[in-house]
This record gives sequence, structure tokens and C-alpha cells, in this order.
Amino acid sequence: MSHASLPLLSPRPASPDEAPVLAVRGLRTDFEARTGTVHAVRDVTFDVRKGQRLAIVGESGSGKSALAMSLVGLVPPPGRVVGGSISLNGKELVGLDDNGMSQVRGRDIGLVFQDPMAALDPLRTIGSQFVETIRVHQDVSVRTARKMACELLAEVGVNDPARRIADYPHQYSGGMRQRVLIAMAIANDPAVVIADEPTTALDVTTQAQVLDLLAKICDERGNALIMITHNLGIVEELCDSVNVMYAGRFVESTSARSLFETPAHPYSQALLDCVIDPATTRRGAMPAIPGSPPDLSVDEPGCPFAPRCPIGRNEPRCATERPEPRTLSTGAVVRCHFASDITGGEA
Amino acid sequence: MLSTILKKLGVSVATIFGASLFAFILLRKVPGDPARAIAGDTATPETIAALRKSMGLDENILVQYGKYMESIFRGDFGFSYSTGTPVGTLLSQRLPATLELGLLSVIIAIGAAVLTAGMAVYSRRRWPDKALRISSSLAMGSPPFWIALLALMVLSIQFGIFPGPEGRLSPGVIKPPAVTGLFTIDSLLAGQWATFGNALWHLVLPAAVVALGPFAFLSRLYRNQLRGTLRETFVTVARSHGLRRFPVFNRHVAPHGLLSLLPAASLLFADLLAGSLLVEKVFGWPGVGSMTADAIIQKDFAVVQAVLLLAAILYVVVTLLADVLMAAADPRTRVGAR
Repeated sequence: MSHASLPLLSPRPASPDEAPVLAVRGLRTDFEARTGTVHAVRDVTFDVRKGQRLAIVGESGSGKSALAMSLVGLVPPPGRVVGGSISLNGKELVGLDDNGMSQVRGRDIGLVFQDPMAALDPLRTIGSQFVETIRVHQDVSVRTARKMACELLAEVGVNDPARRIADYPHQYSGGMRQRVLIAMAIANDPAVVIADEPTTALDVTTQAQVLDLLAKICDERGNALIMITHNLGIVEELCDSVNVMYAGRFVESTSARSLFETPAHPYSQALLDCVIDPATTRRGAMPAIPGSPPDLSVDEPGCPFAPRCPIGRNEPRCATERPEPRTLSTGAVVRCHFASDITGGEA
Repeated sequence: MLSTILKKLGVSVATIFGASLFAFILLRKVPGDPARAIAGDTATPETIAALRKSMGLDENILVQYGKYMESIFRGDFGFSYSTGTPVGTLLSQRLPATLELGLLSVIIAIGAAVLTAGMAVYSRRRWPDKALRISSSLAMGSPPFWIALLALMVLSIQFGIFPGPEGRLSPGVIKPPAVTGLFTIDSLLAGQWATFGNALWHLVLPAAVVALGPFAFLSRLYRNQLRGTLRETFVTVARSHGLRRFPVFNRHVAPHGLLSLLPAASLLFADLLAGSLLVEKVFGWPGVGSMTADAIIQKDFAVVQAVLLLAAILYVVVTLLADVLMAAADPRTRVGAR
């Protein structure tokens, strides 16, 4: 974990009494592929509260990005949200038309993407793209928007923004572009910022700075952060709660502390076992989860992790009966028949 | 930067030189004796030999080429035997007609391609894209002269919407005072509205026919470019900032497509020249194309050579222009943009 030494601000614990900013219930997203329907997001339920830093963790193809895109209505065709509810401050987003969603995007929910090198239009200056972003939602003059953009650029650490704003994206480094994109995502002060693997495309030293910036921004502005990642290191340092995603479902939802101390779901345990600690790992022995993620076009009757699970492999129940979410004594919500046997405590 | 420009200029000059040499040799090596063609079937061998001597055809081919190039640098493009006029005069008479036709064709081809491909890609339905694919396939596969005949038969003769093959103006309509040589522009400059209407009416059908091939080519290119750009991350990012579909398409997708059309302009130009050759003939358009078609049949060397040279020069100029515009339009290649 490369950012262990960096001083990140401590996450603010979410108070459960506050009404959630974002409430997602039973969300389902399908992709109509020629070979069959791929159920990328299956019955996902979670709440996000003000100031909360929530992580969604999973392997490639677990449905994390499809979930992020579902939240803002930008699932690329042939995918679409087929069920469930997304409530933003009480306003239902599922079923909203594109014009309605356009008013939500950027203003209520900000997005930061994975690849900053490809996320800006190479033919337009940073300034013109930034001004455009501000003026979509705020009725201000170009001059005012430009001034606001400069202030935001300064806030995310772009030196001499008055000059740099006239530059084109190719004149910025990857890390700088991600800073610009973070500034754009928060330009209209959204209540929720979704960061979809925001550091995956950056080199290690830049990764830490960008994460530091995201944490600082969210702390200062009090907006909620949904961090989508496969990197448990980021979760440990940045987030207060975690949802572990597997085959389109949340298999474990818990606090970050509880996940690292007492992982309840066998998949969570397997993920933690895969974190490479240079101090203890022998050369040549890279830990991995055996097998591969299931085919998402099949809606299997049992637990999707069963074929790869040290317990489920031998339990007939795991192959035939789908585990429903259960709340354990630690507060963790787990989809596993045997979770209590692992952690030794069930509510 | 300077070395790039010099290199490009060098290539341009070499292209023009090569084209002139190629045209010269090719036309002298094809079977058929121009002297015999000019002298007629009843001419005696002595008459033909004398004619060959006066035309310089009995000399070494390299000497002929040297003399040809030398006269070109003097501005003398030779003498057209079939019409009895200097080639320079012929060109100056006929070039404006072809330029007018070509310019309108370019406008029609680019305009139609950008509009139809834009709509096909922007639409959420599938049929506009299918319709575009089918129609552009048909347009690519049909020879322009055949389309010209068909259009003439149906639209002019059958329905009388457009004039018949009578050239640039209806008989009896007086030419506008020559300024640019383009009748539509000259008539507007002179304020002659009726003449403008008549000139445009004569221009539209041949221009549309010439534009058909380039339109098919450009619309496919533009469509593919747009579809590729739509998949770019920055399009999703702009949408995630709250921009609606049309502004994103208009400001972030279309400019990338248009940029890709620029380098295609030179290819389009070659297409236009080839297309106008027979189309002009069919429509009785008094331009360079119909003149060239006649000159090839008559083995009128001087005319064909001059036209080929002209085509090479135009092609090179358009390519250079496209390169320069491309470099100026794309910030990644713009020099000195900090």
C-alpha cells in the first residue's frame, strides 16, 4: 500500500440518524447482449449520508462501474437500469428522462473518472471546458465562470491558474488533469461525488496526491464520497464504510474497520488475503483467489461465489440456495449462509 | 517547422514535375498518330510527314519534352490542333465553368455528408443510419456519367424540373459581365437576379451528380469518425457534468469529425476532377472536363497535357492547404501554443 505514509485526514464517521443523501434500493442494471442478458447490477441496496466516505470494492467485471453509471443514468447502450430505486434527497432518479437526469448530473452528483488522459476534449482549452461545466448549472457570465474556474483550479493545486486555464489538455500531466477533473466535478457543489477508480491510470506517487486531494475536498465541502476501487489500501485509508461487490451484488456491507479486522464473507477474506504485504510475502508466491468470476448472464440458483469459496465448494446448500442478506453482531450485512461460522458471532 | 514546410514543398514540386513527365510520355506512347488524325484519311504520306515535322513529333522524345517544359515556363501551353486555338486561351475560357461546377459540388458534397451523417449518428433510431449506409453504397457503386444520363432523362426531359443539356445558361440569356467568370457570382455582383436564377438552375443538377461520389465517400468517413468519437471518455465526462446530448454532440463530437474530413479533401478533389470529365460531356457543360474528353479522342496532346498539369497543380495545392488547415485546427499540432 503505497500511500501508507501520507497524512490523510481522518474520515468523519457517518451518523445513522441523519437522512441519507442518496438511498439506493434493489437497483438492477442489465445489458442486452447478443449472447443473452448480462445482469451487471443485481439488487443493490445502500445509503449514503452527508460527509460519508463509502467504498465499493470488487474485482474487474463485478459491476462496480455499471453501478456508478447507473446512479447518474449514463449506462452505455445496450445497458439500462431495469429495476429498483435511486432516491436523491427524496427525489426519485430511476425513470427520469435524459433532460431531468442532465440537471442532476454535475449539480447533485459529481463524477471523477478512471482515465484522466482521455477525459478531456483535446480540441478545447481547459478553460472553455470548465466554463461550460459551470454554466450548465449556474446562470453566470463567462467572465464570472472563468473566475470561479480559476479559484477551483487553485484549490486543487494548479499553479498559476489564470495562465494555465488557457492551455489545452495535452499541456497537462496525467495527475494535473485528474486534479482539473476533480475541480470540474465539484464545480457545481454536488452533494455526492462518485470517484470511479480515480487513481488507477496514474503513477504511484501521483496516486497518493490525488487521493489526498479528494479526501481534503470532501472534508472541506462536506459532500459524500463514493469511492469505487479494487484497491483495498485506498479503502483502508480513505473510507469509513465499505460494500464488497461480487457478481453484481453487495456480498458484505460494513464499516471499513470491521472489514479489515473481522471480514465476514469468505470473498472479503479472500480479497484481504490477496493484499500483498512486501514484509511478509515470499518471492514467487503471489496470493490469488482460485477460479474466475461467474458469467453474469446466468442467474444461478445458489451463491455465485460458491465454486471459488473454501466453504461453499463442499456445501450443497451454497450451490442450491441463494444467501439473503443477514446482519451480524458486528453490524455487517452479509450474503453468506456460513458467515457466522467464520467470525463466530451472529446477531 | 521550416524544414517540414520545405519538405512538403519539395514533394509538391516533385509531384507536379512527375505528373508532367508522365503525361507527356504516356500520350506519345499510346497507339495512333495525331498527325494522321489531323491530316485526315485522304492525306498522302508526304503531307503527314511534313505535319509531323512541323509539330516536332519527329524529334527525340526528350528533346520534345525539353521544348515543352521550356514553353510552359514562358506561359505558352501549346496549340490545340483540333480547335485551332492556343491552349492557354481555351483554358481561360473553360476553367471558370468547371470551377463553378466544382465549387458547388464541393459545397453540396460536404454539406450533405455532414448533415446526413450527423443526423444518422445523432438519432437514437437505427433506420437513418441504415438508409445512409445503403444510399452511400449505391452512390459509390454508380458511375457518374450513368447517373448524369438518368438524372437528365428523368428530371429534365420527363418532368422538366431542370433544364436540358444546354450548358450554363438558357439560350438567349445574356452572360453577366465577367468579373470572376463564375456566372452565379458575376450576376449577383451586377444585380441581375434573373440571370443568377438561370445560372443556378443550370448548375444544380450537374453539380449534384458530380457531388454524389464524394458525398458517399465523405458521409461514410464522417459517420465512422463520429461514432468513434462518441465512444471517447471525454464525451461521457461532458455528459456527467450535466451537458445534454445535443451540446455534447455539437461542441465535443462534431469538431473531431470535421477535423478528420480535412485530409480527405485532397482525395475528394481528385474524385471531382475525374467525375466532371464525362458529366460535363453529358450535360453539355462548356468546361475543362468536356474539353478534355474531346481532346483525348482527338489525340490533341497539348490540351491533355495542360489539363493534366493543371490537375496536378490543383491537387497539390489543395493537399497543402488541407495540411496547413489541419495543423492550424488541431491544438496538439499547433506550433508555439505554449
